[in-house]
Amino acid sequence: MDILLGIRTQNEVLLITSRSLARGISVLKSDDVKVLECNKHTALAFSGEPGDTTNFVEFIRANVRLYGFQNKQELTTHAVASYARKELATSLRSRKPYQVNILVAGHNGTPELHWIDYLGTNVTLPYAAHGYASYYVLSTLDRWWTETLTLEEGLELARKCIDELEKRMPIDFKGCNIHVVDQNGVRLHE
Amino acid sequence: MSGYDRALSVFSPDGHVFQVEYALEAVKRGTCAVGVKGRDVVVLGCERRSALKLHDPRTTPSKLCAVDDHITLCFAGLNADARVLVDRARLEAQNHRINLADPASVEYITKHIAGLQQRYTQSGGVRPFGISTLIGGFDPQSDKPNLYHTEPSGIFSSWKANAIGRSSKTVHELLDKLWEEDMDEQKTVELAVKSLLEVVQTGNQNIEVAVLRPNKEMEVLADDYLDEIVRRIEDEKAKEAEEKQSRRRHDD
Amino acid sequence: MDTVIDQLPKSVDAAAALPACVNGLPNFEFPSIDTPSAFLRAFTDDASNPDVPIKPQHGTTTLAFKFQGGIIVAVDSRASAGSWIASQKVKKVLEINPFMLGTMAGGAADCQFWERWLGSQCRLYELRNKKRISVSAASKILANVTYHYKGSGLSMGTMVCGYSEKNNTLEPEIYYVDSDGSRVAGQLFSVGSGQTFAYGVLDQGYDYNLSVEDALTLGKRAIIAATHRDAYSGNSCNLYHLKPTGWVYHGNYDAAAEIWRLKEAEGSFNDIRTK
Repeated sequence: MDILLGIRTQNEVLLITSRSLARGISVLKSDDVKVLECNKHTALAFSGEPGDTTNFVEFIRANVRLYGFQNKQELTTHAVASYARKELATSLRSRKPYQVNILVAGHNGTPELHWIDYLGTNVTLPYAAHGYASYYVLSTLDRWWTETLTLEEGLELARKCIDELEKRMPIDFKGCNIHVVDQNGVRLHE
Repeated sequence: MSGYDRALSVFSPDGHVFQVEYALEAVKRGTCAVGVKGRDVVVLGCERRSALKLHDPRTTPSKLCAVDDHITLCFAGLNADARVLVDRARLEAQNHRINLADPASVEYITKHIAGLQQRYTQSGGVRPFGISTLIGGFDPQSDKPNLYHTEPSGIFSSWKANAIGRSSKTVHELLDKLWEEDMDEQKTVELAVKSLLEVVQTGNQNIEVAVLRPNKEMEVLADDYLDEIVRRIEDEKAKEAEEKQSRRRHDD
Repeated sequence: MDTVIDQLPKSVDAAAALPACVNGLPNFEFPSIDTPSAFLRAFTDDASNPDVPIKPQHGTTTLAFKFQGGIIVAVDSRASAGSWIASQKVKKVLEINPFMLGTMAGGAADCQFWERWLGSQCRLYELRNKKRISVSAASKILANVTYHYKGSGLSMGTMVCGYSEKNNTLEPEIYYVDSDGSRVAGQLFSVGSGQTFAYGVLDQGYDYNLSVEDALTLGKRAIIAATHRDAYSGNSCNLYHLKPTGWVYHGNYDAAAEIWRLKEAEGSFNDIRTK
């Protein structure tokens, strides 16, 4: 039921993630952060099987960082996405596959958003969503997203999506974090 | 050949492991590296590899190696050996983050590197690493400077300032004389550069200096800024020499 | 590029890095059977077969929260195996070291074994690094183990509580770690079959600025509330207070006696009719 949304605007990518963390029938935490800074200009948003998620993204981050130190050249967002996809694809045929869905957001000159699911599908998209949230807001994004959104317009569109989710989702997801990835790196909005 | 350096990890009757001592010899022939601790800064400097005229320095890797955001290593000895050791250290730094959710401390990485070096003096079929390292940095959320030294034997030790490689003895004497408690960043950088200039004849273009600060990534000093410092130190030296000479003339 | 990326997974491999902790053995040990979880289910699931040979302890209420005066840890003491109360005085707070506590919910054996093991790992860390391990790192060690055994039948829900040095001061930390491999930092947690009942009292009475005395009372009260409603929790409540100087045990309170006392004192528990 975790919410994962990504919106590419003209100069940045927005990652919208729900703040609730539930186990069983209880909400354990209502200020959870489901976004990890992978390297200076790339962020991963993640959802899926508990345990798998954090272990997978931390593993990816460690290797991306290692690559940066070894080669004095940070991996591009595209490369990070390809690498994560490949890890998921190999894991899928293993004894214990990672059940993790991710969004890769980054900025290497231009903003870039990748949608990757646990099956190893990797697509570059202008806006993307994982889980039940996608059933509600993809249409919203189809209706209002344009190629030339400014940051303010992007945030407004994000607001629209969160509003819609608050209205129609049957569970309380305790609000959303919005992360902005632009040329200056990854930051939490507000 | 005494016969005791054929199989690598074998003692000679008087308790030497020759290969380790030869490795130290390789270190002595390597280009010089220095490390200086200041009040809230660590400065690492090294001789740049002798660049031939047709050599493209852009593609020559630096001797200042970032192990993690907060730890930097420089070395003296066989460059190729260093590459392997540095890579192992970088891997360990990331593994530490995965396994303990915290960045490794400078001491931890030092111990890991020294441990690796030691293993290569006691295993069959391998040869010791022909390098000594200086490891500098700050532990996460701490402003206490750290500077460690490791040797091919696997010994590690902590220092206020140290030099390794070619002519390290001379540099060491200079550091002994000039190092003081509580130096600010500029003073620390100057001391590091000054000590390197003891060894590097051709001056400004052949040294590299990195400044490490608490909770920050290392900064490798820009060439023109370094030039400025070098010029200042050389001017000072020239002035001192002149004064000495004039005093001597005066005495006459 | 391709070849380098190919090599990446071999480089940072948590699975390969961990066993070094376990007596330097090259690999994690698994029972020599096909699917450990199916094997375990066949021997322990009394829902499908009441005559199973092993009935691990399950029902529990445990809680921990941070407040102005440190951390309060409170737990019940019932061990149930199916409908059978296996023990009435279980220690569900495991004293990892004088500065760190772990709580126990789920399989008693799993919790006891791995938290004891965690204690030894923490001591080794201390000896090797000349400083105390942070709660964050300790909980990560435990979470790495539970994650590597994920799917093979471990059952634990635990809170690792203690003080860690941060920016030269000691700060309280609570991490929830379970057998899914989750590890979550937080301010207030309750774990076990009685968690909902404990939350019901705890959340409503919680305030960060609670005095130590009030915080202890609240922790105890929440456990008593759960023992009243959750059939698998009960008997008594063990209370701990964690301070920067280490933990302090605040005693064992009989649940039944507490309920009668509270009923009288608070005018609560009016579902219990005495006439």
